[in-house]
Amino acid sequence: MKTYEEIDAELAAFEQTERQRLGLDEPTVAHWRDANPQRFTRAERAHTTILFGGLTVAHDELVQAALAGLGYHVQPLDVPDTDALRVGKEFGNRAQCNPTYFTVGNLVKHLIDLRDRQGIPVDEIIRTHVFFTAGACGPCRFGTYVTEYRKALRDAGFDGFRVLLFQQQGGLRQATGEDAGLDFSPRFFIALLKALVLGDVLNLLGYRIRPYEVDPGATDRALAASKTILRDALAHRRLLLPALWRARRALAAVRVHRLQPKPKVAIIGEFWAMTTEGDGNYRLQRFLESEGAEVDIQPVTAWLLYNIWEHTWDTRRRMTLRRDDGGTFGLEGTRPRRKLLLLAAAERALRATFAGYARALGLRGYHLADMDEIATISHQYYDNHLRGGEGHMEIGKLIQHTEQQRSHLVISVKPFGCMPSSGVSDGVQSLVTAKHPDALFCAIETTGDGAVNVQSRVLMDLFKARRKAQQEFDALVAASGSTVDALAGRAAARGARHALFTPPHRVAGTAANTLLAIVPHLTPPPRNASPRTASPPDAAAAATPPAPHGRLKFENGMLPLVRVGR
Amino acid sequence: MTEQLVIGLDVGSTTVKAVVVDPASRAILWSDYQRHETRQAEKVRELLIAIGGAFPDVPAERIRIFITGSGSGPLRAPLGAKFVQEVNAVTLAVERLHPDAGSIVELGGQDAKIIVFKPTPSGETRAIASMNDKCASGTGATIDKCLLKVGLSRAELASLPWDPARLHHVAAKCGVFAETDIVNLVKAGVPAPEIMCSLADAIVAQNLSVLARGNTLRPTVLLLGGPNAFLPFLQQCWRERIVETWWARQVPFPRDRPIHELIRVPERAEYYAAYGAAIYGLDEATDAAPYRGLDALNAFIAGGRESRLGATAGPALARDAAELDAFRRAYTIPPFVPATVASGTVVRAAIGVDGGSTSSKAVLLDAQGRVLTKQYQLSKGNPIADLQELLAKIRGFVTDQGATLEVIGFGATGYAADVLEETVRADVNVVETVAHLRSAVQTFGEVDVICDIGGQDIKVLFLTHGEIRNFRLSNQCSAGNGTLLQAMADQFGVPVTAYADTAFQASLSPTFSYGCAVFLDADRVTFQKDGYTKEELLAGLAMVLPKNVWQYVVQIPRMAALGTRYVLQGGTQYNLAAVKAQVDYIRARVPDAEIHVHPHAGEAGAIGAALEALRVVARRGTSTFIGIDAAIHLTYTARTDEETRCRFCPNLCARTFIDARTPDGRTSRYISGFSCEKGTVESAEALKVITDRRKSLRVAYPNLVDYESQLLFRSFYPPEPLPDAGTPIDDVAVRTTMLGGIKKRAVRRGFQRSSADAALARERIQIGIPRVLNIYSTAPVWRTYFETLGVRPDHLVFSDVTSEEMWAEGGKYGSIDPCYPSKVCQAHIHNLLFSKPRHAFDYLFFPCITHVPTFVVHTMDSASCPIVAGAPKVIRAAFTKETDLFASRGVEYVDGAVTLAEPHYFARQMFEMWGARLGITEDENDWACRQGFAALRALDEDLQRRGREILERLEAEHAVGVLLLGRPYHLDPGLNHGVLDEFQALGYPVLSIRSLPKDPAWLARFFQDDLARGFISSPLDISDVWPENYSANSVQKVWAAKLAARHPNLVVLDLSSFKCGHDAPTYGLIDHIITSSRTPYSALHDIDANKPSGSIKIRVKTYAHTLARHEERLRDLAAARSELERRVAEKRAQLLQARTATEPRNPTMDHVYQAYLVEDRA
Repeated sequence: MKTYEEIDAELAAFEQTERQRLGLDEPTVAHWRDANPQRFTRAERAHTTILFGGLTVAHDELVQAALAGLGYHVQPLDVPDTDALRVGKEFGNRAQCNPTYFTVGNLVKHLIDLRDRQGIPVDEIIRTHVFFTAGACGPCRFGTYVTEYRKALRDAGFDGFRVLLFQQQGGLRQATGEDAGLDFSPRFFIALLKALVLGDVLNLLGYRIRPYEVDPGATDRALAASKTILRDALAHRRLLLPALWRARRALAAVRVHRLQPKPKVAIIGEFWAMTTEGDGNYRLQRFLESEGAEVDIQPVTAWLLYNIWEHTWDTRRRMTLRRDDGGTFGLEGTRPRRKLLLLAAAERALRATFAGYARALGLRGYHLADMDEIATISHQYYDNHLRGGEGHMEIGKLIQHTEQQRSHLVISVKPFGCMPSSGVSDGVQSLVTAKHPDALFCAIETTGDGAVNVQSRVLMDLFKARRKAQQEFDALVAASGSTVDALAGRAAARGARHALFTPPHRVAGTAANTLLAIVPHLTPPPRNASPRTASPPDAAAAATPPAPHGRLKFENGMLPLVRVGR
Repeated sequence: MTEQLVIGLDVGSTTVKAVVVDPASRAILWSDYQRHETRQAEKVRELLIAIGGAFPDVPAERIRIFITGSGSGPLRAPLGAKFVQEVNAVTLAVERLHPDAGSIVELGGQDAKIIVFKPTPSGETRAIASMNDKCASGTGATIDKCLLKVGLSRAELASLPWDPARLHHVAAKCGVFAETDIVNLVKAGVPAPEIMCSLADAIVAQNLSVLARGNTLRPTVLLLGGPNAFLPFLQQCWRERIVETWWARQVPFPRDRPIHELIRVPERAEYYAAYGAAIYGLDEATDAAPYRGLDALNAFIAGGRESRLGATAGPALARDAAELDAFRRAYTIPPFVPATVASGTVVRAAIGVDGGSTSSKAVLLDAQGRVLTKQYQLSKGNPIADLQELLAKIRGFVTDQGATLEVIGFGATGYAADVLEETVRADVNVVETVAHLRSAVQTFGEVDVICDIGGQDIKVLFLTHGEIRNFRLSNQCSAGNGTLLQAMADQFGVPVTAYADTAFQASLSPTFSYGCAVFLDADRVTFQKDGYTKEELLAGLAMVLPKNVWQYVVQIPRMAALGTRYVLQGGTQYNLAAVKAQVDYIRARVPDAEIHVHPHAGEAGAIGAALEALRVVARRGTSTFIGIDAAIHLTYTARTDEETRCRFCPNLCARTFIDARTPDGRTSRYISGFSCEKGTVESAEALKVITDRRKSLRVAYPNLVDYESQLLFRSFYPPEPLPDAGTPIDDVAVRTTMLGGIKKRAVRRGFQRSSADAALARERIQIGIPRVLNIYSTAPVWRTYFETLGVRPDHLVFSDVTSEEMWAEGGKYGSIDPCYPSKVCQAHIHNLLFSKPRHAFDYLFFPCITHVPTFVVHTMDSASCPIVAGAPKVIRAAFTKETDLFASRGVEYVDGAVTLAEPHYFARQMFEMWGARLGITEDENDWACRQGFAALRALDEDLQRRGREILERLEAEHAVGVLLLGRPYHLDPGLNHGVLDEFQALGYPVLSIRSLPKDPAWLARFFQDDLARGFISSPLDISDVWPENYSANSVQKVWAAKLAARHPNLVVLDLSSFKCGHDAPTYGLIDHIITSSRTPYSALHDIDANKPSGSIKIRVKTYAHTLARHEERLRDLAAARSELERRVAEKRAQLLQARTATEPRNPTMDHVYQAYLVEDRA
């Protein structure tokens, strides 16, 4: 007699045979999931190369040195070029934005190079390399870069390659456990911060000096020397101040001639497109310089200040609610007052670091943006709740540049189809420029190809900016009653030919400002009254009833409320 | 130095223009205009030599030279010329020659430019210039390409009259989109003049709505550039449309001046850029830009090019001659030898016709499927005329050999298949994909991948056991590759048959970026400027083709997973340069690939159609074909007039009737040009039949997408009335401390109500809300909020559903060109402002919705797309920048930001926005907000219940339902282009994401394994597939894809709009999820304003083919499972019975048991 176990076994065998006969023996579906490899331990640190990149060359090199000083083996990737774009497009999703293709492609290109040119087996590449990048707040495609990195790596045959990220907005405390290979400690972030701020100051100095250099290439040589000095100090954890002074001496040695009326061109727009110095924006900064412009760049520090502003503003807006919400922005379970104090401290520390380095390196008269001011002036056009990319900053920057005569031309550069920038800001800028007829504004989209069209569009507006700069300068020369040659002599006598000399800001052009600085009693030419103050757009009225007098002001970081019924 | 002459040079994308200007009088002394055929430097030299000849007494050192144009870059240094940007050059010329000009519209070969001269407050004039975006054509190149397709000559085009009465829809957003529409119109039999007028109208509308960046062209308008100069119908179109905008926007213009003066085409305007460059030079210092003479230019021509290109150029198509020879031997298609038929015999054969985008192909197949002859015909503008010529050739082939032809079957495929099916009664009208499948399988047996590249479309089929497992089709943005190769060859004067030989001569090539045909053409301009020759450009273009196929259309980077047997088909495969690039690309990724080119590459579709006709006729026994003689002698007329216009809905589609008559008097009518099913009929009775069928379909196969899109905007939720004043409520009192801290304290107090007057005032308030973007997911919140506060339901009005007409009327305000769902908001606002005469709105409400609630758990955020969130601000800018149109209509536009993910903060935001405007208390506001959310929940519950019922029914019936993976606004029939109706008509119920059940208990069985293995913590968690899940609507799409992958009765239709940045990261995710589960899937990506009817049709038909197989499989499986259960149960019973039978028994105990059974226990 069969046991029940035997019956069960026979039944199972029968069922299996029948399944086969009936075509029911297909394997169960293995549903896809993203393995998201993240493991990077302290023990692996010694034999692991941390790859990173994506900012300017100066930033990348200084970050490398700063992290090397903490004992990491760090390697910046090259500035992404069109080959990186091609690789990014092959392995990335369709319809991604340019920064995604460039940066994702750059990593994959580097790994392909390790595999195919250097002959390192894929297993070893995966074992001995990680990629480190910043996460983002989410609303635009930037928030999903990491998804894209993993997709491209998988599809390019580097399944299992680790992409580690820290949240830009996560603050200084993103501990990843005792055994974490990357120790997101305050020390780590402070080193990173130092490098970023130093990179900013060096870049700002470079863009100020280079257009007026007398010996072509002298500025770049001085910048290279300065970077070497600073990298050395960071990597060997030496005192920074002597290094800063030495770097400053190198920069101060560049001979300049500032009485050349050059159009000053501010580059704003999407963060990566305006920051990169490679094919990602058709080398826009150098292109403008080659066309005789002085370029006003946006420092990375401003972006960090914006991140701090976002948290501060969001917290202030919500802290007086009668009941707290949960979710990403809600204050449920948080201590808002403490958070605000920490944010204020972070902002002060950031500004102080910047001011200290700027002073030591000789960057004079540079003011980091007042984020509350930018938020206030832009709110009527672009609600401060709207995020993604630069948020309201593009609007605020254009208004500031126009009203305060900071530049002759504002170029907003963004990747093709950039959601916050092309999709919203540019639409709103059409109203801003309508209200500010003096504004010379040029929005360009980059795709990585078709450089001729983009450069042509830039030249179209640069032509006008050049005329503005020339007129501004000529008017002052005429008003001075002197000649350019004679004024040049006076400039030399008053130290205005020193590389680090910075005339006080009065008008847009450096040459004109230099004249105003060296010729007593010379005054800036009159300009039209600000149309915004003359007839403020009624946009603000819709979202919030207007404040009683003039421009909307934040009260304690909040827009004034009009209460009814209580 | 006393200067004598100033030369202005304009080196454009196709021509070089030169003027010589007298500095004293600023008059043009000499001018010439030449096509350069990619030899810019040589052509410039030629012109300079001519100038030297014309002014022999002026030495070179007394000449200055200024240059402009996209191709001028490399020539600046050798000539010593100074560069002037072309728009500035044109502006300078116009300022000098036409001081009264208010604006300029210049259409070039590649670029379109609009310059508006606006006075500034300081009294100066400011020139606001805009150039077309890279992704926006509508220029000379597009007109040229479309001219090829409609079959008109340039002379005919130049004398074409403008006729606004017979316009058809053409999308001119982009040249490729326009071409696709043009092909459809041509194949539907629409007369060529109507098509070209429609194209002109579309180009003008596009430029006025997008290129003008929301600025109004001011009189006087100058029309510049080749197309404007040479095409009177285009000029007239500009005149008509510009004047319309002046009326609409109340722009003052001199009524006493004739319109052709107000909007005029100046003579010799082609020289304006060159002249402007010279004018610029005259304002420069007199020693600026001295002409260097010809020596440097000669040196540049001789050697400058290679040295510059060397570093960046890509490789040649073949490394060496040996490789090329080997390739030619392997892949040259042997010449086709038509069959010989015996004189006096009757040839019984089937005809297959493929009415493609640029050409029509026909084959004659014998009963065994062998090709007897094949014929090719470039489209001449009408598919019936094309067919008649093809048939005459086929008949001639047989009769010329003394035989007679008996057609035993007729199959049609391609763009023209519908019209042929109707007019000649084709036996089959088979979708192109299936035709290609049949043809490839017939020739090669088991294959893994079929790649067909036609003039307009790319189709890639993945096969298993001779059936379509999956497919990818080019969409609007990836169309036109085949045509581009041809057009590029034409542009360089190379016959398309010589393309490969020309391209193989190149020793290097420019590296094109892959992408749409317009982008490629833009690249071409750059490369031409860099100095690449036509041979190199053609080689580079061939090499980008596989990237476009595999990276842009197919998007599967790991090609090895697709299989190893590839068949390349389509007319483009006759171009060996394209084949070489394809073969090399595939081999580099699949080293053991076996790649075949179909021996009848161009006719593969026609062969497939004929094979299918043979099969159908054999089964049916008869052919429906009217006969070859009748077809050849068919007469037909094509009409588009007021009589043919469809009047069954407000769209009033301009239909075209093609009436055909056979020699024996039989007639047929084919109708085209309608946008919905109603357009297919002519009488009210016939319409009733359609309507009744629709109704019965609605009951049998519910379309919850349609239902949701209507329910959302109805007043379906009766809100709880506001509590009386003083009703006790629990609240929290908030106090700020001296140190800035916040103290909160629970209090109980009375509910506060606003005054009776305020309530009365609210009853009169009228509010308009655009039916767009995230309003599609939140509408009940807004309606219920206002209704709770006492606004009358009929005073809350949503704009109409998106339609082509709405877009045409209200789409001219935009200053940017984002995705269509965002761009169309302007038309909805316009609709509310100008098309709702019965409503006097006090407010237009279009909130910036930054966050929306989501059912998916553990997400990083639930953000809206930034464009969606910011669109209200863009609209404000568009409607207030020139004139405040809100104020002029007496409406206040309210567009504050709100987050629906934080209910308490949301209430604060709403109160800030509406407190003063509605005169409400904060208590009333908070109550109304809660009611709004309750309405949204009620909507969710209703839809989920209906969705669950459908799913359970599908499970029981082993049928499938189509799940729409889309963003909320894809519920809008104007955005989904009614594609879901097509599936409903095929007998598939349609579900939306909202209608999927979200009850974790109900869902658990589908996610059991993932939950058990700890990959997710809830069935509503997607962190196992996408940790970076910030975007609420993207997250929901991914979740729905996960459920579809696990639910056997769901199949997926994925819609995505052109330029959708939030969908982009999900493409790969959804593909992985769906592919791993082998769930049937079809995508319609890059959808835009225009309805891609052809593309939709191919997809729907191909997908229907796949779905039918899938349902068969489901039913087979269900039957098999049922049989298995029965067999196992039987076996179990049998085994247990056997055991019982053999079990040892104790007779005594059995006796006791028997006694027990009969014992009387009472």
